[in-house]
Amino acid sequence: MSPARRATIEFLLDNLVWLMLIVVLAVFSATIPNYFQFGIFANIFEQSTFVGVMAIGLAIVIIAGNLDLSVESTAALSAMVTGMLFASSGVGMGISFSPAWLMPVVSLLIALAVGGIIGFLNGFFVIRVGMSAFIVTLASFIWVRGLVVAISGGRSAQNLAPSIRIIGMEDILGVPLLAWISVLCFAIFAFVMAKTTFGRYITLVGGNKDATFRAGINSDRILWSSFIVAGVLAGLAGWLLAIRTSGATANLGVGMLFNAFAAVVIGGVSLKGGIGKLPGVYAGVLLLYSIHTAINLMGLPAHFTQMILGGLVLAAVLLDTFKLRLREKLL
Amino acid sequence: MTDGEPLLKLERIKKHFGAIEALRGVDMTVSRGEVVALLGDNGAGKSTLVKIIAGTYPPSSGRLMFEGEERYFASPKEAKAAGIETVYQDLSLCTNADVVANFFMGREITKRYLGIPVLQEREMEKVVAEAMRNAGTKIPSLRVNVENLSGGQRQAIELNRFVHWGGKLVVLDEPFAALGVEQTRRGLEMIRRVAAGGIGVIVITHIMEQAFQVADRLVVIRQGAVAGDLKREETTPEKVIDLITGGTLSDAGTDGDGGNSDPAYQREKTRL
Ligand SMILES: Nc1ncnc2c1ncn2[C@@H]1O[C@H](COP(=O)(O)OP(=O)(O)O)[C@@H](O)[C@H]1O
Ligand SMILES: [Mg+2]
Repeated sequence: MSPARRATIEFLLDNLVWLMLIVVLAVFSATIPNYFQFGIFANIFEQSTFVGVMAIGLAIVIIAGNLDLSVESTAALSAMVTGMLFASSGVGMGISFSPAWLMPVVSLLIALAVGGIIGFLNGFFVIRVGMSAFIVTLASFIWVRGLVVAISGGRSAQNLAPSIRIIGMEDILGVPLLAWISVLCFAIFAFVMAKTTFGRYITLVGGNKDATFRAGINSDRILWSSFIVAGVLAGLAGWLLAIRTSGATANLGVGMLFNAFAAVVIGGVSLKGGIGKLPGVYAGVLLLYSIHTAINLMGLPAHFTQMILGGLVLAAVLLDTFKLRLREKLL
Repeated sequence: MTDGEPLLKLERIKKHFGAIEALRGVDMTVSRGEVVALLGDNGAGKSTLVKIIAGTYPPSSGRLMFEGEERYFASPKEAKAAGIETVYQDLSLCTNADVVANFFMGREITKRYLGIPVLQEREMEKVVAEAMRNAGTKIPSLRVNVENLSGGQRQAIELNRFVHWGGKLVVLDEPFAALGVEQTRRGLEMIRRVAAGGIGVIVITHIMEQAFQVADRLVVIRQGAVAGDLKREETTPEKVIDLITGGTLSDAGTDGDGGNSDPAYQREKTRL
């Protein structure tokens, strides 16, 4: 087989999720009444924000050859901390200061720091102590959620300060600002992964950690950073969630982990590590919420979404295996 | 090139893994521009010695002198910074990345924009293309992932990598195991060329013919200790084989296999 032909096939395989997204959107638009509307697409965009931002971090950790199950609880903790500090009802303390524009900035920094700390701890146990990432982050998934319930007493914080909420109400070109924030995050991290040494090392460490160590790369530091990045992004997702819901509840974001995971796998990130691109992950998130929206519009019960998503994840993993085999044949 | 003191000097290097004593006091030297062939049966401790020189792990005891100074390499990064390049027996490539990414692993060409190091892919590709051309290595595309390349092509990438980056000492652990006849001949030539440039070379091989072709000196390791350190002109393949096997070849009924130079057979044994 000629290299050009092989390159074409590889390109198609690598970008299959975009093809799927286009086909799904076309089919839904043609068959579901009221699907093909700007408002619907803007809504899909906005819904994709929270899981999307979270999925970036998850994808980076998986590409580096690990796993982070804690992102959902981390986001919930960041949202709760934001809510408790800056919301005025429920468990909210209603802290407020001027100038008003400083409030979103300070609340964002706090949310990112909360996420970063959880990521740092995950990294510590995986890299320094040498425990399995699955166990460490599963434990975090549980204790961080426990912490959310503990600090809030199981109650919720409502009425987030208007100066922060404003971010959830603005839109640009008819698309909510929140959606643009996730697009921006994807653009930034897609660049980081494809064009900077940090992104290159994440991929190389995920492919062969020993080789990177021998090549003089500080592979432990790269791995640790990946956990911190995932934590910070989960913190951002939590902050956005708090803005969207004008506060936080103790069970905020439950189920997001599965969605993020599904998007990452459907987006072409291999659980083996070392393989995957962030634009594909974004397509995966959009695909997920296009299906969610279609099911809502058709008035089907929500559990249909779960069945379809479960099926999609299975299909995506099968596809990953199939791609490997096809590649071997292409040799 | 000859300033008396050797480039690398190992003194009573010992290494044990738990109860296993892989090295029990190795002394050896390498001078600038000298090619030393390191020989020994499987499990003799050659790869362990290589990894100690490369900074992969520390010796249990003993001294490592490099350029006349006692050195302690806490990581491959430090050994590299000192000028030691290593080609490991099990290759050190990331098969999920392309040829260019592997060639430049850890030493990418970058340009800083707003303080962010951005990879200069085109520049790197040019350098790799040049290095491959100089070595006569043919690879269909430098942008193909290494997993799609043959064992020989992979080994060629590693060899070209060390030739390109140079350094003061290169250590090659069975570098030709996956190479064909022509590529091996080129590889041996390459070693001589590198040494002629004043670089010290340690090369591990199982094939006596290769050792005699390329080396100035032959060091034989047996059961974790040096069994012989001989100038090439002053020895013969038969003598060396005797040293490798502990002279058992001349005794009847022992299982010495130092004379078996079939790399496939040797590799299979190594895996055990
Ligand atoms: N990481 C390790 N842990 C335990 N034992 C090891 C390790 N590396 C090497 N050994 C043992 O040390 C001895 C020397 O191995 P090695 O240096 O690979 O030999 P060679 O390269 O000469 O074939 C062998 O007995 C091997 O089993
Ligand atoms: Mg060996």
